Amino acid sequence: MSIVTVQLGQCGNQIGFEVFDALLSDSHSSQGLCCKRENEAYQASCKERFFSEEENGVPIARAVLVDMEPKVINQTLSKAAQSGRWKYGQHACFCQKQGSGNNWAYGYSVHGPRHEESIMNLIRKEVEKCDSVSGFFIIMSMAGGTGSGIGAFVTQNLQDQYSNSLKMNQIIWPYGTGEVIVQNYNSILTLSHLYRSSDALLVHENDAVHKICAKLMNIKQISFSDINQVLAHQLGSVFQPTYSAESSFHYRRNPLGDLMEHLVPHPEFKMLSIRNVPHMSENSLAYSTFTWAGLLKHLRQMLISNAKMEEGIDWHVRPPLSGPPSLSKMSLNKDLHFNTSIANLVILRGKDVQSADVGKKFRAYIHQYTKFGIEEEDFLDSFTSLEQVVASYCNL
Amino acid sequence: MRRRRVDPAAGARAGALPEAIAALSRSLPSGPRPEIFRRAKFDRPEATSALWQLLFRVLSPLPAGNALASIALEVQARLVKSALCSQGYPRLALAQLPEDGSQGSRELLLALSWLLARGPVPEQMLAQTRVPLGDEMTVCQCEALASLVPPAPHMEAEGPVDVRHVQWLMGKLRFRWRQLVSSQQEQCALLSKIHLYTRGCHSDQNLGHLSVTEAEMLRDPEGGQKVSGAGAAQNLDLAYPKGLHFCTPGMGPRTFWNDLWLVPRLLPGDWAAPLDPGGASACSLLSPLRVLLRTLERESRRLEAVLAWRRAEPVFWQWMDTVLGTCAPEAPAAASQPTFLPWVPECGDGELELVVRELQTLEEELREAVERRRVAWEAKARGCGRGPEWSAARRASRETVEKELGALQRCWEQESGPAPAHGPHRLVRREDGAAGDRDLRAAELIRTLRSQEACLEAVLRQLQGQCRQELARLAGALPGLIWILPPGR
Repeated sequence: MSIVTVQLGQCGNQIGFEVFDALLSDSHSSQGLCCKRENEAYQASCKERFFSEEENGVPIARAVLVDMEPKVINQTLSKAAQSGRWKYGQHACFCQKQGSGNNWAYGYSVHGPRHEESIMNLIRKEVEKCDSVSGFFIIMSMAGGTGSGIGAFVTQNLQDQYSNSLKMNQIIWPYGTGEVIVQNYNSILTLSHLYRSSDALLVHENDAVHKICAKLMNIKQISFSDINQVLAHQLGSVFQPTYSAESSFHYRRNPLGDLMEHLVPHPEFKMLSIRNVPHMSENSLAYSTFTWAGLLKHLRQMLISNAKMEEGIDWHVRPPLSGPPSLSKMSLNKDLHFNTSIANLVILRGKDVQSADVGKKFRAYIHQYTKFGIEEEDFLDSFTSLEQVVASYCNL
Repeated sequence: MRRRRVDPAAGARAGALPEAIAALSRSLPSGPRPEIFRRAKFDRPEATSALWQLLFRVLSPLPAGNALASIALEVQARLVKSALCSQGYPRLALAQLPEDGSQGSRELLLALSWLLARGPVPEQMLAQTRVPLGDEMTVCQCEALASLVPPAPHMEAEGPVDVRHVQWLMGKLRFRWRQLVSSQQEQCALLSKIHLYTRGCHSDQNLGHLSVTEAEMLRDPEGGQKVSGAGAAQNLDLAYPKGLHFCTPGMGPRTFWNDLWLVPRLLPGDWAAPLDPGGASACSLLSPLRVLLRTLERESRRLEAVLAWRRAEPVFWQWMDTVLGTCAPEAPAAASQPTFLPWVPECGDGELELVVRELQTLEEELREAVERRRVAWEAKARGCGRGPEWSAARRASRETVEKELGALQRCWEQESGPAPAHGPHRLVRREDGAAGDRDLRAAELIRTLRSQEACLEAVLRQLQGQCRQELARLAGALPGLIWILPPGR
């Protein structure tokens, strides 16, 4: 079953490119880890999921690219075509000439409805190309203007039109010391809207990934593309085909369905995060050895002690006796766990947001939003729904 | 017991009775040996358990499978008793039989013949287990309603139920359901492709294209090819049956592939063909084509047995008369006259007269009561005055009632319109739109289903509105309480 990816905004498009690249190069990597037949099965399954076939054999990513500025999209398209191994569909992108100035309201209330039909048409074409759709994977940032506002709008539309399909939104949590001033407002609005219309929210924090790049991968000048590659590595490992528990002859066919059924069945708890081990650059791989048990132990401790990366794990923390129900799935490389640390994240950031509420700052930028139809009530609604989410997580 | 008009000449041939009974046992699934029948006539205890099992197999709505075989004899006996009772079996002695299979084989034999007299049991059994060669789906809801397993023992909730756990489970259920829907959509898309690509391949002109089974047999009769990943777009890479094997939406009456592999393994005795001396251990090495052929052969043999049974039936009924004769006479009101079957013309006229008279008196009484009520209401209504607002109110209420009644009637008429036949239908893709008399058109079915869906949605919305009003009323009753609705729909 196939997954249709919707890449929104600068963030979404760049990450999306890295994801597809990582997926394809992983499935074609000739490291001789398994026999030829298994390899072919793996490749076929991965390809069917994320790419569609074309006449000359070059796989085309099942993706729709949306941005309000043409620059990033053009870059992404050309990078993909240059690799020679895969590319994006020629007509799978939608862009305008103007940006949206990091204004959520502009993205949601103006751009969204205006371009709703074209974007949904593009998505529909991608869906029709698939034999079967496992669901949608929407990549966006939380605090930008285009990605977040339009993302919220598109997710809502998908909920209306494809109510039976599963949707996972991958959102990027901005840096704590953010580069965008109104990012807190954008974040709140995005989160609350997405919580209503999406099935699962997979959160990646820029801070955490940045630290991974710096400490573990020994990259000196960290660029966005490094961060994105780490992200893509994590995502790819979750989405590559996995064996089913019963038999190891068939790959499980519905990745989104399996993930969601086990991780987010409860309607109030929709946030997910990924941990993976090991983190290292390609160069050091050759010099390290791993055991499966050792990796698992590290991962478990990371989970319990709320650490985001492998270094500096606090080994003294022990899990509470009655933990939340969790299920670990054996993917070929990595594990994914449902955990309470994301709850802490939400609570912490919730406090950030509340501090923004008090004082003049709140009034300061609100006019940018009311200009485009997001009123104070909408903000209040978002606050309440997020408070509820925070409260539910606190009560876990 | 109902007496059939038997042809006395039919039983004249010696050996006609054993043949008839043998045909009967061959035509029924897990039919016991003819010896069992003879022993049952003399109420021998060793025949009892076989007859309990046969009755269970005939009466249970579930298909054959491992699940059925593992049900204990007591449970089977209890289920048989309740099924017979709900169908109106008149003899009380059966209900009083012990459930451990120690006695009562003659009663069971009588029950079996009662069932055989009521309806075409061997043919119904055949229809349940027939081999589907085409791609099939069922249109009516009977299958879903009939698949009620024996209820689990009632579990008391221990302590307060955690709402979150329930929500968790509901969420899982919802996700599974959505996965089911997308699997079904995938199956539809692939079926459509297969039918499209195999146009003109079928020898039967009416069908015109191959079904999945047929195409798979042609592609891979030996079953040697393993399937890699999922099906590609352009070719007939039929990963579908094997790939979807563990997530089949189950569009047919049974999962055909399941049956194919289970049949040789599961059925003992008379079903294991003489062609299969190796038994179950060898079947996994058989190619799908051979397994299919074997199953078809078995089905043909059963069909022949059913035909033989129909020819020899009168002999069997003569013999059953003798069995009935050997029974101790029961309380006449219960046993002799089947008053539950009003369409039987030979039953006692006296009884029927009595019932008719009782119904007539009841009708008179009801009519009088209605009349009295109407008079009382009119007297009360007259007292309410006939002002203009009264007549306006009456008109308004009459209009609403008429509207509701009209909507209901439309719903029902649409729902029970051209009632589609029961059982599975073979899917055939046709370009020219020509269809036979008994064929169902997809477009019409879709229209019927959509109107049913609209009806049900309207009812759902109405119920939701009622719930909302109730909630609002409750919320208003507690001052100072703020209700926060959960996110989502």
